[in-house]
Amino acid sequence: MLSTDSPSSSFPSCGRAEALRDYAFDELPADERLAMEQHLAACGDCVLELDRLRLTTAALHTLPDREIPQRFAFVSDRVFEPSPLRRFWNSGTLLGQNLLGFASACVLAAALVVSAWHLSAVSRPAEGRTVVQSASAAAASPEQINAAVAKAVAQVRVQIAEGDAQMIRAAIQTSERKRDAEYRDQMVAIGENFMVLQKRLNMTYARLSSDEVAGSGAGQ
Amino acid sequence: MIFRAVEDADLISRVRCGDVEAYNLLVSRWEKRVFNYLLRLTASPDDALDLSQDAFLKAYQNIRKLDDPARFGPWLYRIAHNEAYSLFRKRRPETALEDAATERNPAPGFPMDLSLAVTAALDRLNPEQREAVVLKVYEGFKFDEMAEVLGCPVSTVKSRLYTALDLLKTELAPMNTRSVSRGNPC
Repeated sequence: MLSTDSPSSSFPSCGRAEALRDYAFDELPADERLAMEQHLAACGDCVLELDRLRLTTAALHTLPDREIPQRFAFVSDRVFEPSPLRRFWNSGTLLGQNLLGFASACVLAAALVVSAWHLSAVSRPAEGRTVVQSASAAAASPEQINAAVAKAVAQVRVQIAEGDAQMIRAAIQTSERKRDAEYRDQMVAIGENFMVLQKRLNMTYARLSSDEVAGSGAGQ
Repeated sequence: MIFRAVEDADLISRVRCGDVEAYNLLVSRWEKRVFNYLLRLTASPDDALDLSQDAFLKAYQNIRKLDDPARFGPWLYRIAHNEAYSLFRKRRPETALEDAATERNPAPGFPMDLSLAVTAALDRLNPEQREAVVLKVYEGFKFDEMAEVLGCPVSTVKSRLYTALDLLKTELAPMNTRSVSRGNPC
């Protein structure tokens, strides 16, 4: 590595080395730039130093820029970035899934309790209060929650069974009524048919008897 | 130069509104310069490419923190500078750039092309001097912008640059008078 000492800090001898370099790199303010140009017209050292600087920078510029071997491109986060819920699900693994499973179970239990309370409140207000009390007490421990849920499920089952029995009874009654009506209709139809047949038979007898009478008259 | 700065500022405001394509346009404007800057610091195309990508990614992530969009260039180079020095510290905590420079030195004194001589002369500068030369001569930054990139006062920047130029002048004197004069007869 080269030394950091400036090898030509005393050159040019006029003492305007820094201003000259600022001038060479176009960093000199406009008024000082004009003064430097006037100085250059009279100072041979500064002209020589300026030529050296320009030669050096020209030599440095012989190093070409390289083309970048691979272009960069960014894509929209909104398209490829997973949703916050998905990131939580993916990153949380067991923890996230367990939490969600527990939350699902809680929601299901709450739905069952509320549903049972609602059904009981409609049919039997006194028992409904019991369910609500059980639900509020259920928050205390999992055993109480399970007992309350089992009780609510049993009540719902009883209600469903009662409903089913009522429906079956009503269906049987309807069916019986329908069958009686059909029987009556059939009997009426049979009666009517019998009467029609009887009339036709009477008419046939009447025609035969009239033919016999006509035949005997002609024979005499 | 002013027109370009205004356009960059416009693109930056679009990027801040979530326009990724505006950032891609911004990247396409700066990627070659940033890559060459990092290539001259690291002397490794692979490192320069990786660092460029990291720098652009960090710039995208932090673009809302850029106070003055007209100063995007120095701000981006500051990120690239930090990325490069972070890599050097990770690899070689003590010696950083200095050993990297000596590794890529061609042997001095050989009859070589001017660009090789320039490479050799640059490699013999210390890292701060070399970076000052790269930022001024190759990237064309003003002193205040260089100070922003390097995180030091303008006086320090000028000291590093002028010391480096004195050394390069001595190193390249016999050659640049021949080659450059031969290449530029005027």
